[in-house]
Amino acid sequence: MRDIIRILISPLVWLAAFSAVYGLHGLICGHGIDGEAFGLPLPRLLLVAAYAAAILVQLPILWALYSPRFASPSPFVRFVSRATGWVGLVATVWSLLPVVMTSYCG
Amino acid sequence: MNALQRHRRLTEIWASDPGFRGWFSTVNHTDLGRMFLATAFFFFIVGGILSMLIRAQLATPHSAFAGPEIYNQIFTMHGTIMMFLFAIPTFEGLAIYLLPKILGTRDLAFPRLTAYGFWCYVFGGTMLLVSMLLGIAPDGGWFMYPPLSGPLFSPGINTDFWLIGITFVEISAIAAAVELTVSILKYRAPGMSLDKMPIFAWYALVTALMILTGFPPLILGSVLLELERAFGLPFFQVDLGGDSLLWQHLFWLFGHPEVYIIFLPAAGVISTVLPVMCRTTLLGYGWIVAAAVALAFLSFGLWVHHMFTTGIPHMGLAFFSAASTLVAVPTGVQIFAWIGTMWKGRPELHLPMLHILGFFFTFVIGGLTGVMVAVVPFDWQAHDTAFITAHLHYVLFGGFVFPIFAGIYYWLPHFTGRKRFFRLGELAFGLIFAGFHVTFLAMHWVGLLGQRRRIPTYAPEDGWTTINLISSVGSFVLTIGIAVLLIDVILHVLTAVRGRRNPWNAGTLEWAMMTPAPAYNFASLPHVTSREPVAEDPELCVALARGQGYLGEPRHGWRETLTVDIASGTPDYHVIYPANTRLPILMSAVTGVFFLSLLLKFYWTIPVAMIGVAILAWRWVWGLGLKEDIPPQGIGRGQEVPHAASVARSPGWWGTTFLLTANATFFGSLLFGFAFLWTVAPGWPPPEWLAPSALELGIGLAGIVAAPIAARLARRSQAPLPFLAIAGAGILAIGAVCAALMLRTPDPTGHAYGATLLVLGGYGLFHAALAALMVAFLAARVRRGFVSPLRRAELPIVGLWIDYLATIALLILLAGHLPGLLS
Amino acid sequence: MLGGAALIFALVMTLLVLPFLRRGRAGSDGSRVRIWIVGLGLVFPMVVLAALLAYGLVVGERLLPREADDVVRVGAEGRLSAWTFSYEDAPGRATEGVLHIPARRPVDVSITTADVIHSFWVPRLAGKLDAIPGYVNVLRIEADAPGTYEGVSAEFSGPGYDSFTFAVTAHDADGWEAFLRGETQ
Ligand code: HEM
Ligand SMILES: [Cu+2]
Ligand SMILES: [Cu+2]
Repeated sequence: MRDIIRILISPLVWLAAFSAVYGLHGLICGHGIDGEAFGLPLPRLLLVAAYAAAILVQLPILWALYSPRFASPSPFVRFVSRATGWVGLVATVWSLLPVVMTSYCG
Repeated sequence: MNALQRHRRLTEIWASDPGFRGWFSTVNHTDLGRMFLATAFFFFIVGGILSMLIRAQLATPHSAFAGPEIYNQIFTMHGTIMMFLFAIPTFEGLAIYLLPKILGTRDLAFPRLTAYGFWCYVFGGTMLLVSMLLGIAPDGGWFMYPPLSGPLFSPGINTDFWLIGITFVEISAIAAAVELTVSILKYRAPGMSLDKMPIFAWYALVTALMILTGFPPLILGSVLLELERAFGLPFFQVDLGGDSLLWQHLFWLFGHPEVYIIFLPAAGVISTVLPVMCRTTLLGYGWIVAAAVALAFLSFGLWVHHMFTTGIPHMGLAFFSAASTLVAVPTGVQIFAWIGTMWKGRPELHLPMLHILGFFFTFVIGGLTGVMVAVVPFDWQAHDTAFITAHLHYVLFGGFVFPIFAGIYYWLPHFTGRKRFFRLGELAFGLIFAGFHVTFLAMHWVGLLGQRRRIPTYAPEDGWTTINLISSVGSFVLTIGIAVLLIDVILHVLTAVRGRRNPWNAGTLEWAMMTPAPAYNFASLPHVTSREPVAEDPELCVALARGQGYLGEPRHGWRETLTVDIASGTPDYHVIYPANTRLPILMSAVTGVFFLSLLLKFYWTIPVAMIGVAILAWRWVWGLGLKEDIPPQGIGRGQEVPHAASVARSPGWWGTTFLLTANATFFGSLLFGFAFLWTVAPGWPPPEWLAPSALELGIGLAGIVAAPIAARLARRSQAPLPFLAIAGAGILAIGAVCAALMLRTPDPTGHAYGATLLVLGGYGLFHAALAALMVAFLAARVRRGFVSPLRRAELPIVGLWIDYLATIALLILLAGHLPGLLS
Repeated sequence: MLGGAALIFALVMTLLVLPFLRRGRAGSDGSRVRIWIVGLGLVFPMVVLAALLAYGLVVGERLLPREADDVVRVGAEGRLSAWTFSYEDAPGRATEGVLHIPARRPVDVSITTADVIHSFWVPRLAGKLDAIPGYVNVLRIEADAPGTYEGVSAEFSGPGYDSFTFAVTAHDADGWEAFLRGETQ
């Protein structure tokens, strides 16, 4: 079961982060949250912070999948879990990229 | 004992009842797999005939072939049958037939559940067929958008057939998914560690997990819509606090993963068949496993691309556009791994290979048009036109039907033990391939010219006449091709030319048995040391028949097998399967009475059916009980393992875990629906919140704390009865506060808020009743002497349900009382 | 986009046919994995898709209704089986089945529905946008020249769906003024 979790964890975290950022975006637009902080519009700031947090969560997971302490004893599972670990990271960076590229409510 | 005597003894133990009466009592995976496949192909034919009617109608402008009312039923039923009654059951049937054989064991984890799922599928499918014969079939399109499918705009019974029939069929998908997951994880030949699993098993595992998490949103959506239709709970009516977009989210949260649930098993077939056709091994096994997992996950982040035109803000669309393009990457990895496999080996053009080439050609086009519609501005033009219909058929026909045809021709010698005699297959392939592309290339084209999907007819001035005619002609060629293929298969089954045992020289274990497969699969279980055991040891079949593997000596009339440790594949415990029984068909018939009562609004038979199901379920589980301890069993090769009844994580525990995964997804979708309505639906906040009650919260919390603790103590104790009594009391307390929530919720027909609380409370109450029943069952077990230190596997299973109940009860109470407290 | 897709398709088909012509090659699985899986399976699609995604996002961004002074605002309400149009510049004025707009000026159509879901689609002017109960979705359209443009309702709405169409009449500046004054029908 542990090996299965090693394989699934990164994409699972991506799915959670993706849904959370989408939800946050829905909340911001649905409730007209507005304002400014540090010279930037507040909605953008919140979204970018969430984006950064999502990426930051993926990094230690990937690190753990490579570290001898947490990696699987089976070479095969080590390989697959690292591959899916990269999937989680790349998917996070890629699918949430619009946060910095497009206008938020419109 | 020689091989023949062993075969006779094992057959006596494992065989189904003779004659057609055996169909109703069989629990054998080979029988049920075949029955599943035959039924699924029956529905394929029905769906195919309906598609011919569609194309006949669209062949000419101003067609008077069918009026709009009938035409709407035809295309709705075509889509519904193909998706729910053909594609998914075909996967289930193939996996049920194949997995135990390919994994080197004797049956799936829960044989009676296989049968139950099959009969639910048959009865549910029959309901839909009957609706069609009576001319009252569903007519809202296969995604049934409210408000069109709601009580105001579809007052007839048509939509109810869809909601209730499909939910009934869905039970079989969930049952099969639980079963396949547990089987793949636990029921393998000793020595088969995760990295030695045949690739098909990986694909089936991923698919099964996707069914467990993908289908619950649709089941929830169907339940809510049916509640709205039957009792006026306004989940999707905007003027009463509902939102029709909630349905779209729930539906596509299911609907997009569904596409991959259909594609992944087909990819598993390709990954199995292609290397054999190329006389080599699969390139990049680990990569493919990772790609399948990645695909499964990414596909849950795409659903909004079906809603690009609903007015969601641009950034929201962009997330899903990005994820939708990304999903093409793991698909690309698989495609190129397969092509690399072909370069590595020496491909030979056998019939299965032809269909695989058909797959490549078709699916790559479907994938490319898929990437195009993932680009939002393009989709704004293409959405809801014939271009989309054409795209989806390239994906589904290319990505599922061609690979399945390849698989059928590949495993046909295994199904029948025979050799191909008539050679109609090549002709059939040519007709299918040509017909398909003519039909759907034309539809791409006419879609770009602006023809909408789902229109019953068009005018000559539109200028689509010629293209539609070409498309229709193509579709008739396609149908003739499929008919020829079916004739070819039937002739194959009827001709008596015995074939070689392993005609393709494949390396996987399903070829290490006689064909057609005996009821027990393997006379003794192999010890696996590589991914292709038969390639390693071509004489394996003979050695196993001689009883040189595990469990080679039939004893006590037991249907025995072994489970293994998930990761390493070392033998774990000893399992005895239940024998033939009519209980599954009986239970699904009673389940059918329940659904039928809902459909016909015979509300008084509903409780009767529910009690009937409960009684049968009680008998079902009761029959597994043992009056005496089974000590650890010798399994041959000098090894000994404990019996399943004595372990903490028995097959039932694993099954419960995955069933609860699906259940938790259902509950999660319900909470999502609540949050969605609250934050997005226009008609919120509701006129009044539920008045919070400290008393109810207190009683509920007491139950939530007491029940799990008492259940844990009961597991440890020699005299569990008192603790079971406390657990029971805690459960009743939870049930009571859930019932109070249902009673006190403000006006459930007046606002979606009250309706949601009613459903939340009902969900909690239902689970409390279930848990109470289980505790009563355990108590009865203890009192009758069925529980001992070596027979206590049932306690942890009930423990899981109680923990689950406590968790959801906490969330329900919070969701119910907190808003009132805060405001 | 179509050209690129055709190119990729041709590439895959070529790679598919070649192994039938030349017989199995020596070589290690390691280098094969690098070429086929990492190179062609991973890097190649990611580069192509990144470009495509960026393009899509930029175009999508440009199609958004931007603030501008000369925007004309109209309303469109779907209802089985006809569209009713209203005009901000001519309050109280409503037309059924025909939407009047000025040519060469950006027009924001506020789309909603009185019953089931519909979709507002004038293929030659813009993509489609749904009319959803309880929501008002805004679509930016612009006609390059005066004339009549055909529109359809593009979300299945039961019997009668096939004939659920409308028209958009784009006027020149004078014609639009005349329409607003109520001189055109
Ligand atoms: C046997 C060959 C087939 C033909 C000739 C065919 C033809 C068609 C046509 C013409 C339509 C659309 C009509 C319209 O909306 O204007 C359609 C819809 C559809 N087809 Fe097929 N089809 C075939 C096989 C399949 C298969 C194998 C599947 C799935 C596994 C499938 C799934 C669907 C779905 C989901 C729809 C959409 C229904 C809706 O709009 O509600 N079809 N088909
Ligand atoms: Cu999709
Ligand atoms: Cu639509």
